[in-house]
Amino acid sequence: MTRPKPLILVIDDDADIRRSLSRELALAGYDTLTAADGVEGRELFEHHRPDLVVTDVAMPRADGFAVISAVRRTDRTPVLVLSVRGEEEDKVRALDLGADDYVTKPFSLRELLARVRTQLRRTLTAAPEILRFPDLVIDRGRRSVMQGESEVRLTPTELAILELLASHAGRPVTLRQIIGTVWKGAPATTADTVRVHVGSLRRKLEPDPANPRYIGTEPWVGYRFLAETVE
Amino acid sequence: MDRHPARWWQLLAKWAAVPLALGGVTLASRAAGANEITAGLLLLVAVLGLATWGGWTVGAVASVAATLCLNFFFLHPTGTFTIEAPSNWVALGCFLAASTLVSRLVARARQQAAEALARQRELEVLYELSFDLFTSPLGKATARTLRALGTESGALFLAGSEPVILVGAPEVDGTFVDAARNGSRILEDGDTSYIPLRIGGGIGDETGGVLLAAEPTAPSAVLEPAVRLLALAVERERLLREAAHLEGVRESDALKTALLRAVSHDLRTPLTSMRLEIESLERRLAGRSEELASLRGLSRQQERLTRRIDNLLALARLEAGVARPHPEPTPAGSLFRAARESLALVLEGRDVQVRIQPGCPDLWADPSVSLEVLVNLLENAARAAPPGQPLELAAESVAGHVRIEVRDRGPGLPAGGEGLSEGLGLRIARSLAEADGGSIELLDRPGGGTIARLDLPAAPELEEILAG
Repeated sequence: MTRPKPLILVIDDDADIRRSLSRELALAGYDTLTAADGVEGRELFEHHRPDLVVTDVAMPRADGFAVISAVRRTDRTPVLVLSVRGEEEDKVRALDLGADDYVTKPFSLRELLARVRTQLRRTLTAAPEILRFPDLVIDRGRRSVMQGESEVRLTPTELAILELLASHAGRPVTLRQIIGTVWKGAPATTADTVRVHVGSLRRKLEPDPANPRYIGTEPWVGYRFLAETVE
Repeated sequence: MDRHPARWWQLLAKWAAVPLALGGVTLASRAAGANEITAGLLLLVAVLGLATWGGWTVGAVASVAATLCLNFFFLHPTGTFTIEAPSNWVALGCFLAASTLVSRLVARARQQAAEALARQRELEVLYELSFDLFTSPLGKATARTLRALGTESGALFLAGSEPVILVGAPEVDGTFVDAARNGSRILEDGDTSYIPLRIGGGIGDETGGVLLAAEPTAPSAVLEPAVRLLALAVERERLLREAAHLEGVRESDALKTALLRAVSHDLRTPLTSMRLEIESLERRLAGRSEELASLRGLSRQQERLTRRIDNLLALARLEAGVARPHPEPTPAGSLFRAARESLALVLEGRDVQVRIQPGCPDLWADPSVSLEVLVNLLENAARAAPPGQPLELAAESVAGHVRIEVRDRGPGLPAGGEGLSEGLGLRIARSLAEADGGSIELLDRPGGGTIARLDLPAAPELEEILAG
């Protein structure tokens, strides 16, 4: 679907938040639709097929999880969840249902816009063969990782995790996703196994442990690659 | 164990039947002019009947008597016990053998049938008992068990503080109750039996109970299983009580979770709205420094309020037991970065120096709880230190712990101890740190200022985690 501007559907039961969000998103160059609950949200989604959905979790009638499920039944439209601090289980559940990212209320507009941009960019382009970040180049074809002029020696598992995180730069990757991709869902793999390998990956990758640049921890959820790709 | 000895008249009837039956058959055969073969068969039938009715001994005596009758009344020469033809010896011998054998078989079959019947009755008693026991409360179950044991009076003593269940008006001797409780054998005091009950056997935590039965008459084949069934009924009642209790606990947990969720949602929605409007105003007021300055102040206060609410909700969640910290290996650097990002506004324009000891192990902490704590400490430091003064964040390994320090050059601790002026933020940080397995200490910093020290457990070696 080609539109002059990307269309974003905002679903939240609070009228003030709906109004502020749709005004600010419009100013940032997006078209918006708003819905006050999950039922209305699903109807608007079916009817307008927006490019991205931003949804609250706790809402009357149908909640955010119902919205995610409904969207995922039809296609890969990115879904961004407005989660609440402390309700980490909600984040995990939303991501497991197929949501793509979340921001935590009260979130800053800057943060939300950054997440929206990341998600919309993802839908437009597939991850390239060579991933370039400041001071870090991951060549997926040659299976090499360079920091400046020197090569970082990684085990095959560390490399697989790094590739997964880096190709999702700016987006959360759940422990379950890592196990599913890197270990192909081997039943004996636990969250602790993943943490062990991420721990050693961090030690090899982060040039300054006092100021980590690449791998961020998402409590309860998993990890997020922090650096932004450079052209 | 046969608890009903035969009475004298039953014995008399049994033995009197032998001459009566044999005499009757003999007389009838003579009167009908039956030959020795017919008479022999009729006598055999009589012996069978006697053996069936009177048992093996009666059958054996009847066999011998019938042989003598056959010889005396029917074999030539009749009227004497003399036997002339050798073939008659054989016939008599066969008759005796057949009648003895048959009466033995018949008697045994009868006895087995009687035993089977008794087993069946016992099983019926136990089956009915088990059915009743598992559908009725303990008082009724005890009365039912006592009835199966053949008595209407008794008592059930359970462990500890559980009340005694009395059925009828039994006489109780406490010393026997205690002795039976501590032993494993049935104790008899006159007609009263004290039967030990093993409750919860096999699943640990076994407790002794005692069933007192006044004049029980049931055979041991009934008594032992009946008592075991009663023990199961006691156990079932206990489990039901525990299940009801757990259900209550679960419901109250669910209620607490729902309440916290609702509060959390209601408090954060207006904060979210405020944050969005503040940012929007910031954009629209670009270039108007005076208005922007007051908006900054508003923004900082909004963030502070957000943090307090986050703190309080995190603490409430931990204290309500609806969330437990999930420790995982967390690099100090990640924690520092996250804390600085959370406090972007507060730390704006301030130099924060980060020092992490080389080789410092990861923290073993819940990243969201430890972030909550560190943000509070860092915020306190930023407010205490004069603008322009750098803050320090440090992490080092100290005896199995990771020591995190937030250092400022503020006025230092007030004279009279740290506890007095402790703000809400610090108090909450302390509770959260403890929930996360750590501790907080405030110290005077050499050269002026304060050190807030947070000790958290160090993550185990990665191999140790893998080994479980």
